[in-house]
Amino acid sequence: MRTPAAAIAWEFRQRHRWGLIGLLATILTLGGIKIVFLTNQAHLEMSDATFALLVPVPLAATFLYLLAVFTFGISGDLAARESMYPPRMLTLPVSTAALAGWPMLYGCVSMALLWFAMRIVAIFPPGVEVPRYWPALFAASLLAWTQALTWMPYPLRGMRIVISIVLLVSIDVVVFTALESKARESTMLLLLAPLVPLAYVTAFSAVNRARRGDVPDWRVAERFAPALTRSAARRDFRSAARAQLWFEWRQYGRSLPLLVAIVLPVGLSLLFLFREAAVIVVEIVVASLLLPSFMAIFVAATVAKSSSNASESYGITPFVATRPVEDRALVVAKWQAALLSTLAAWMIVTVAVPVALLWSDAAEPILKIARNVDDALGRPRAIILGLLILAGLVGSTWKQLVQGLYIAMSGRDWAVKGIVFATLVLVTFGFLALGWILDSRYRTALALNSIPWLMAAFVVLKLVLAMRVMQRGAARGLFTRKQLIFGALAWDACVLALYGVLALILPEILFRRYFLLLVAMLVVPFVRLAAAPLAVARNRHR
Amino acid sequence: MAADEPVIAVSDLTRRFGARAVLSSVTLEIPRGGVYGLVGANGAGKTTLIRHVLGLLRAEEGSVRVFGRDPVADPVGVLSRIGYLSEENDLPGWMRVDELMRYSRAFYPGWDDAYAGELRAMFALDPAAKIKTLSKGQQARAGLVIALAYRPELLVLDEPSSGLDPIVRRDILGAVLRTIADEGRTVLFSSHLLEEVEQVADHVTMIRQGKIVVSAPLKEVKDAHGGASLDAIFVERMGGV
Repeated sequence: MRTPAAAIAWEFRQRHRWGLIGLLATILTLGGIKIVFLTNQAHLEMSDATFALLVPVPLAATFLYLLAVFTFGISGDLAARESMYPPRMLTLPVSTAALAGWPMLYGCVSMALLWFAMRIVAIFPPGVEVPRYWPALFAASLLAWTQALTWMPYPLRGMRIVISIVLLVSIDVVVFTALESKARESTMLLLLAPLVPLAYVTAFSAVNRARRGDVPDWRVAERFAPALTRSAARRDFRSAARAQLWFEWRQYGRSLPLLVAIVLPVGLSLLFLFREAAVIVVEIVVASLLLPSFMAIFVAATVAKSSSNASESYGITPFVATRPVEDRALVVAKWQAALLSTLAAWMIVTVAVPVALLWSDAAEPILKIARNVDDALGRPRAIILGLLILAGLVGSTWKQLVQGLYIAMSGRDWAVKGIVFATLVLVTFGFLALGWILDSRYRTALALNSIPWLMAAFVVLKLVLAMRVMQRGAARGLFTRKQLIFGALAWDACVLALYGVLALILPEILFRRYFLLLVAMLVVPFVRLAAAPLAVARNRHR
Repeated sequence: MAADEPVIAVSDLTRRFGARAVLSSVTLEIPRGGVYGLVGANGAGKTTLIRHVLGLLRAEEGSVRVFGRDPVADPVGVLSRIGYLSEENDLPGWMRVDELMRYSRAFYPGWDDAYAGELRAMFALDPAAKIKTLSKGQQARAGLVIALAYRPELLVLDEPSSGLDPIVRRDILGAVLRTIADEGRTVLFSSHLLEEVEQVADHVTMIRQGKIVVSAPLKEVKDAHGGASLDAIFVERMGGV
């Protein structure tokens, strides 16, 4: 390694060698499937649609993986104001052009190679004209812009996520609009060609600013009204638990409400444009209601961390690890802060959506749906259904924030990446299995009949895992007998309450009671929450 | 805990990271009162030993007892009596100094507001300053304030010299450590600045490649080497490593 370019390339290869081997294995597997398919086509019953699932899912998964690798964003805090470019690299004796250029070049070449490999090995439905070059340039452009936006320092926390979503979606929209208008390959290439150089210029500026430690600051409240931001810490904390809750809230609690507050007005402003189109109004409202859960996916990565340092990994810092509190208290503080964060985000949504509907005079389609539900179910059931949906959305937002703690708080990077990889594999094979089932009426009927059995099997698995987690927690002194009994009773109560509500609003002729009970048992979380203190104990006392 | 029971009792402790043994059958007892210097070259195992004392590492072989308790099984019982200054500057950068003090106060019933204020003034820390805007040395001072303000029974300092400037080290740290020892409390600090250890420690433990090679009162160690400086003894016993 005699040049910076070779050293940077070596670091990417060495650090992500297992992931890259996995990626290569995926491509080879797809190639193997294609060979099997080509030699036994007559004996396979899969439809074109099912075969198509062999392309988008693995392509999206590998694309996202390369995106995370080449932006250095695999373990960083996306919501942080600071640049996510690794600080240690900023001090290397190489030019800013090299620091921005080489990772971008390697990333773009990798993306292009990924497309060409997928184009060769994946099975495309007959009759589909697969484009040659422009998807490679499209993937490279998306990567280059993601790099530029990830490395850029921002004046507000969370702004990176908002700007990235807006810009990357805009690129997607332009490309798909061009495709809709049957643009030719050469047109697509011309359209996409300027994006990479522009991204490079932006990335150069971003790395340059990061090198100077230049982080713009628009936090007006903190600057002009310090009393507002200081008030919570001015009072003495009543207990260690309160202090830890404050710590967690200050560390990441404001990220979700802030993101929702930034993105929601943009979405709701569309009501003024489309108030006459009932379908679009409904879509905007649905999207607004799903926004907190969606944004929570991005914030969840920071919830598990004990430091707000953008490049910090998942270990617990000595500062937090030496707090004289029980392991479970560290988790409980995170749960509570996540709950506060969820409620704050939902407060914004529950106020902003009705105000926007009334102000834009677009409420009629929503009121019509409400009247229809009211007529169909009756007033009490309709109200309960509405509240249940709201509770479900709020619960789902909180769950998004905390459900990964049991993995991320174990501090094992390989576990975090492993679970992502396993999920992608499951999704891929799940889609394949679904396509295969839906191809045959017999298999579809069989699958529908076996859903309750499958659910029952998952419930049994959940209960067995729950018992195992509780046993291990008790053996390690993480839970007392009283806490175990209380936890189990609380879960039972939640399951029965949910079952009762579902039984009240859903007719038995459509949904059998045992089915509703199974749904309630699966939906109310237990194992992942109970496993989080175990993960902390492992991380804190390695 | 009986009065004559050691504050720290490490017995036959072995720790491996992969195939490499970082600590090898370490046995160490630190009685109540006094300043104990833990010296050794980089990578000798000082921080690993300290992390076991704090319960941040679980004893794979052997046992660790602090105040007669297992620091892993009883983190609250042990950590509430220990003041710790980490080698890493890992204080939350987003906190202000006054916030850091209020936050830390909640964990220690014995927190002494007057003493904390006195320490903050002595270390010249602006209460409104954000931790991340402080220099490395100022961050170490802030860490020291919150480690001392509740008058812990055991103060553990991991390489404090790496963050503190010479004036604080010589004039303030030395005086503080002496006061703590005079009050019958215990200080364990690791350092590679042997001159500093010589100035403040009553007892010295030298660790080399995970093994304790010397552990005795400083005077005894020096007498055994004809009154030579700790620096010279270190080079002789550790082979310059």
